[in-house]
Amino acid sequence: MKINLNYMKNLLIVLAGIAVLALGGTAYGQIKNPNTLIYLTTDDISSLDPAYIGDTPSTYSSYNVYSRLLDYNGSNISEFVPALASQVPSVANGLIEELPGGAVRYTFPMRPGVKAHKVGIKGSDGKIKWQYFDDLSAADKAKIEPGYGEITADDARYSLMRAILQGESWMANAVTEMITAGKYSNIEKWAIGLAGVEKFDDVNEAGLIAVHDDLAKKIKVVDGKLILTLESSFPATLGIMALPFATSIVDREWAIDMGAWPDTAASWIKHHKPKLDQSPLFKQENGSGPFIVEDWNRTEKKITFKRFDGFFRKPAPLERVVLRLVPEWTNRRLQLLAGDADVAVTPPEFIEEMRKTKGITVTDLEQVYGRGLFFGWPVKADDNPAIGSGKLDGKGVPPDFLADLDVRKGFNYAQDYQVLLEQVYLGRTVQSRGPTVRGLMGYRPDSPIYTNDLEKAAEHFKKAFGGKLWEVGFEVTGYTAEGRSQAIAAFGVLQQNLARINPKFRLKVQALTSASMREKSYGSSNPESPLAYMGWGPDYSDPGGPLGAASYYLSSSGLVAGFSGDGYRALMKEKFDPLLEKAWKLNDPAQREPIYARLQEMSHEYATTQFLWEEVTANVTRDWVKGYVHNKILYGAWNFYNISKEL
Amino acid sequence: MVNYVFRRLLFFPVVFIALSLMIFSLQMLLSPVQRISAYITSNSELKGGREQIEALIKKYGLDEPFLTQYWEWIQNILSGNLGWSETARSPVSEVLISLFPATVELVILAFIPSFLGAVWLGTKAGANLNRPKDHAIRIFTILGWSFPTFVFGLIMLLIFYGYLNWFPPGRLSQWAVTEVESGNFIRYTGANLIDSLLNGRWQIFLDSLRHLIAPIITLTYVNLANMTRVMRTSMLETLRQDYIRTARAKGLSEKIVQNKHARRNALLPVTTMAGMELAYMMGGVVITETIFDYHGLGQFAAHAAANLDFPAVLGFALYFALVLVLLNLVVDLLYPLIDPRVVLK
Repeated sequence: MKINLNYMKNLLIVLAGIAVLALGGTAYGQIKNPNTLIYLTTDDISSLDPAYIGDTPSTYSSYNVYSRLLDYNGSNISEFVPALASQVPSVANGLIEELPGGAVRYTFPMRPGVKAHKVGIKGSDGKIKWQYFDDLSAADKAKIEPGYGEITADDARYSLMRAILQGESWMANAVTEMITAGKYSNIEKWAIGLAGVEKFDDVNEAGLIAVHDDLAKKIKVVDGKLILTLESSFPATLGIMALPFATSIVDREWAIDMGAWPDTAASWIKHHKPKLDQSPLFKQENGSGPFIVEDWNRTEKKITFKRFDGFFRKPAPLERVVLRLVPEWTNRRLQLLAGDADVAVTPPEFIEEMRKTKGITVTDLEQVYGRGLFFGWPVKADDNPAIGSGKLDGKGVPPDFLADLDVRKGFNYAQDYQVLLEQVYLGRTVQSRGPTVRGLMGYRPDSPIYTNDLEKAAEHFKKAFGGKLWEVGFEVTGYTAEGRSQAIAAFGVLQQNLARINPKFRLKVQALTSASMREKSYGSSNPESPLAYMGWGPDYSDPGGPLGAASYYLSSSGLVAGFSGDGYRALMKEKFDPLLEKAWKLNDPAQREPIYARLQEMSHEYATTQFLWEEVTANVTRDWVKGYVHNKILYGAWNFYNISKEL
Repeated sequence: MVNYVFRRLLFFPVVFIALSLMIFSLQMLLSPVQRISAYITSNSELKGGREQIEALIKKYGLDEPFLTQYWEWIQNILSGNLGWSETARSPVSEVLISLFPATVELVILAFIPSFLGAVWLGTKAGANLNRPKDHAIRIFTILGWSFPTFVFGLIMLLIFYGYLNWFPPGRLSQWAVTEVESGNFIRYTGANLIDSLLNGRWQIFLDSLRHLIAPIITLTYVNLANMTRVMRTSMLETLRQDYIRTARAKGLSEKIVQNKHARRNALLPVTTMAGMELAYMMGGVVITETIFDYHGLGQFAAHAAANLDFPAVLGFALYFALVLVLLNLVVDLLYPLIDPRVVLK
């Protein structure tokens, strides 16, 4: 046999090359990067400015980089621990006081000696130079300019005022609602209210200064303590103060030095509602949280956090945390299995597979919100494919189709909740009993729920529209956002059951891009969609107030009413608003709880929504990831401070 | 020649204006509520309801008339501003510049072997018509041609990373990323291989190479298959020409006839095709970049389009039009070098 030596030589070179490269790899399944947590995600951070953000992915930064006056106590959604404040205000410790006339005063004494990531040192030219506190020698630390990088009550005051006046995110506006005790939902309305004009554009300079001054009266610093004075009770105050959004505290001097609002009455309007990149704090931070943003590569969708050794508690166990957006699941899965990643966002359909995989831990996470099919009425009448002919003629439905309580009840009895819970969710969650889910005030495990009962469904459908509906049937389209297999399953079960009840009942299902879903919900004053799969959750644990679960669903000015049509709003106004207002005015939880429980029952009586299930997600991590604490109200955001990697 | 190049480059603004008008018109078919989606990072931002949506539409001027929006955009372009990409949270020009080296690194390393391999395999196949070598090469190319990139890429990923753990996805391992992001590593070009060499960091060079191999194999195979088929056909045609018969009659060896006389002339159609392939690859190899978690222009453009990030889409279209015009020009300029009978006028 003739051996080609050149060929053999080349082959050996190639094999040697591959071997050398392969040696760079490490054995499968060992702890790689022991001091760095690598988290593969599917969402990215929108801004580092805590006053700008309103989405959960962005809280991965604000939660870990900034500190707040209070933190949630572990997984408890209604208890708090001090953070930058040295005590949690309560009536018992005298830090919450009811003032004559119904006003309420909250006092936050501050923790002394807290340093921000960057501190200011005056140079020989008299200019302040911002340097990382961790990099300073003991001699340099002695030169820190007082107040420059030291977190005080004045920084807290500035941060809250800046967030309110910037008025950009929904969460910043929540602070406005809190400080005005629900009177104004954003600074623009506040300015309009004070100036007595129609539009925000009509508020003159004096009006702008007036609203600033009014705000400044409500947020003050007295004897080194932050004092908030609310016109009346706002039971969710502490819950909002502990959220990792606009109540995160920035260093005032640093923020001003970077070009943020200069803390003057006349200048706030220039910093109101900036575009994303126009906020000076968009891509830089100076928090006092356990991690520093070491690098934010926005084009590669990767953010690296580095441990802050000067943190006011002991430094975090992890040296670094890397959050990387990896859109493709197979890639995330393989990196997790190979140990190159420690946490990977996992599509729901692969959770069970991962649960059975060696070396992987799957932790189910109950969420504070439910999913449902949202009814809207009346829907847009013209040129609306969802309602077909727009008439009750078997080829469509009238725009106010779901205004008929019997139709809504018919739909709710036609759904098979148990099948969905067992076959789609494999028993991982429970049926939603209404807007208020487990853990929230007003939730009662014995409150009425709909069950699959085709006879009852038929009974209601026969009564609807004076019997005509049963006779002619209907054709209607339900919408969901793309990629939601659970939604398709819920619609599918409903579709089959409706056809079983009466073959003339036809439900069509359409999956849309999120942009088109928004168009269907918000494109006009009444929605286009009579039936849509969605899920919404509260922003704090209290069910009342503008951002609570009960208000979101059941208030005429709530979130759901915003996209459910005039008919839905009218029903809420008539039946639900009085109870919501009554409960919100009470301070005693024992008196409030039965009202929220009643509202929950009423959501069943009036079949306001088809409440399907309480959402459950899961953390899929390597076994060596320890210390995750799940707090439902934070929607699964990770506090990396508690995390360590150990076998 | 200079005149020719100049005249060809004059086409660019025309192509670009036509392209931008087309994309702009398409985006205007969507309602402002749909277009605002690019600025909404999560549903929680919709908590202000319709009022919030309207405020956002007004803030970003999405309710302005078509010509106002287009004119504003053109003015920005003329002042060197390609706009802001909401999906990348950065100026579009910055994104294109920062991702360009990554894509070029991948594309060049995949293009060279695929072009050379296609020429070699096509020549062999054409010269060995209906012999086992030809059959083997044809089967090899048909497989590559018919294999969807995402399937082949996933197989590569599963074999080389999932089972062997040789070639991980991404551009660098975490330890290398930490090194590169430290102050001790100078970024000269943005291409990891070149920068690591210039910094004298062999470990990072090898790590970067490890991450490149699987996507390179994927891209090479798919492109090589296409070009090999064209090269084979071209060789077959060329080998039937009279001058080849003359060369053989003169007693030249078959190797010289194939490699020197036939192959050079057979290269013309392959060069045209290679130019187009290279242009498309430079436009971003979406599937390969996505599968291998390789942050390049393709992944960026796909993400931007899916999220209706129109400034990014338009900026990318501008870049792609430029690449197409330039590469077509380069290909045209190469013709006379390959075949002296071709004259540029």
